[in-house]
Amino acid sequence: MGLLTILKKLKHKEREMRLLMLGLDNAGKTTILKKFNGEDVSTISPTLGFNIKTLEHRGFKLNIWDVGGQKSLRSYWRNYFESTDGLVWVVDSADRLRLEDCRKELGALLLEERLAGATLLVFANKQDLPGALSKDAIREALTLDEIKTHHWCIVGCSAVTGENLLTGVDWLLDDIAARIFTAD
Amino acid sequence: MSYSCTSTGNSQDPSSSKSGGVNPDSCNSSNSSSRSSGDIDHSTNSHSIRGGKPNSNPNSAEAMKVKKGCNTTDVGVPVTTEEELLANTIITPEDVLGLQKITENYLCGPEDNVYNIDFTRFKIRDMETGTVLFEITKPPATDKGGEKRDIDPNAGRFVRYQFTPAFLRLRQVGATVEFTVGDIPINNFRMIERHYFRDQLLKSFDFEFGFCIPSSKNTCEHIYEFPPLSEEIMREMILHPYETQSDSFYFVDNKLVMHNKADYSYSGGP
Repeated sequence: MGLLTILKKLKHKEREMRLLMLGLDNAGKTTILKKFNGEDVSTISPTLGFNIKTLEHRGFKLNIWDVGGQKSLRSYWRNYFESTDGLVWVVDSADRLRLEDCRKELGALLLEERLAGATLLVFANKQDLPGALSKDAIREALTLDEIKTHHWCIVGCSAVTGENLLTGVDWLLDDIAARIFTAD
Repeated sequence: MSYSCTSTGNSQDPSSSKSGGVNPDSCNSSNSSSRSSGDIDHSTNSHSIRGGKPNSNPNSAEAMKVKKGCNTTDVGVPVTTEEELLANTIITPEDVLGLQKITENYLCGPEDNVYNIDFTRFKIRDMETGTVLFEITKPPATDKGGEKRDIDPNAGRFVRYQFTPAFLRLRQVGATVEFTVGDIPINNFRMIERHYFRDQLLKSFDFEFGFCIPSSKNTCEHIYEFPPLSEEIMREMILHPYETQSDSFYFVDNKLVMHNKADYSYSGGP
C-alpha cells in the first residue's frame, strides 16, 4: 500500500473537506455562504476578516472559509491556503469594470503551490441583476478555458435567490470526493 | 462568552432534504500531470479543524493514567488536574484536554489576553425552523480610563444561559460566535470547549481558527446535530439548573491566553 493510498484512507474516514471562498470585495461571498446555510441575507456588511461555517452536507463534514476580498485584505489570503480541497471563486457578473482585476487575482491564485491540489468552482454570481454578464461571457473574460492545472467548473448563480448554489457546491464535492476519497 | 454545543452527530446527513446536484455543462475535469502532487499535498494530515480527531500526545506513553473519555479527542491524553495546571506557567491544549471536570478557577488572568481577542456576539439558531433562539451582542471594548477601578476583572468571562426544556429537544442548531482581534496578527488561534453535566463530560469541542488578520472581525458558525442524551440525563439537567457548565479555553500558538466559563439552565426560568 502506497503512502498516497494510506493518506487517502485517513481522510476518507472523516470525509472532511476544506473549502476556501475568495473573490473581489462585493462579489457576494458572504451572501452565498449565508444563503446556502439558510440564513437571512438582508443585512450583510463587508467582511473585515473571515466567516467560517462548519456543517455536514451529503455525509461530508465541510469547513467553509469566506475571507474578505477588499484590496487591503488580499495579501492575507495566503494564510488560508493550507489544506484547501476546493477553491470557490466568486464573481460579481455585473461588475464589468473590474473583470480584468478579477481575472488577474484568480490567475495569481492558480499559481499558488498550496492550492495546486484544489478543485476550482467559479460562481458567476448576481445573475438576477439585469446588467449581469452570462456565465459564458464570464468564462471568456476570465479565460477559464486556458486553465489546465486544476479541475474547474463555472456556474451562473444568484446568492440572493439561491439559484444554482446547490448545483455548484454539489459539483465541487463530487469532484473532490472522486479525487481524494478512495472508493470502497 | 460560551456556547452550549454538545456533540456533532456523525452518521446522519442533515441536508438530505436538499435535492441532488445536476451536473453543470461548463465543467472541465481533464486530468493533468500536476494532479498527483496536488493530491499528496492536501492529503497530508494538517487539517486545521479538529472536531473529534484523536489527539496524539507524544508523552502519553509515559503517563500513569490515561483518560478513557467519552470523546475520541480525549483518548490517550494524560489525565491532568486543575491544581497541577495552576502551577504551570504555560498551559497547552493537551493540558486542558486531560481535565476530568469543570475548573473552579480561571486558569489564566484577563491580562494574558495580550492579543486583545474580544468576543462580541453569540447566536444560536434552530436549523429546522431557522428561528434565532438566542442572541447577545456586546459593543466593542473601549479603552476609556477612569471608571475601571470598580470593575470586576472577571466580568465578561462568565455567561449564564437560561433555556427552556425544549432546547434539549432540538435536532440541529447553528452556533455562531463573532470576535475581534487586536492589531497584532495571530498565527495559530485555537479553541477548546468542554461541557459537563456535574462531573460527566458531555462534549469536548476543539476547533482551530488558524490565522487571524490584525484588527479583524471574524465569525464562526458550527452547525451540528444535538447528541442523543438519555431521557434520564435530560430530566436531571432540567431539574438541576446551572449544574451543566462549560470551560472555554483559547490558545495562541498553543499557549492559553483566555479562559471563559458558562453555566446553563434548561428549566425555563431564572
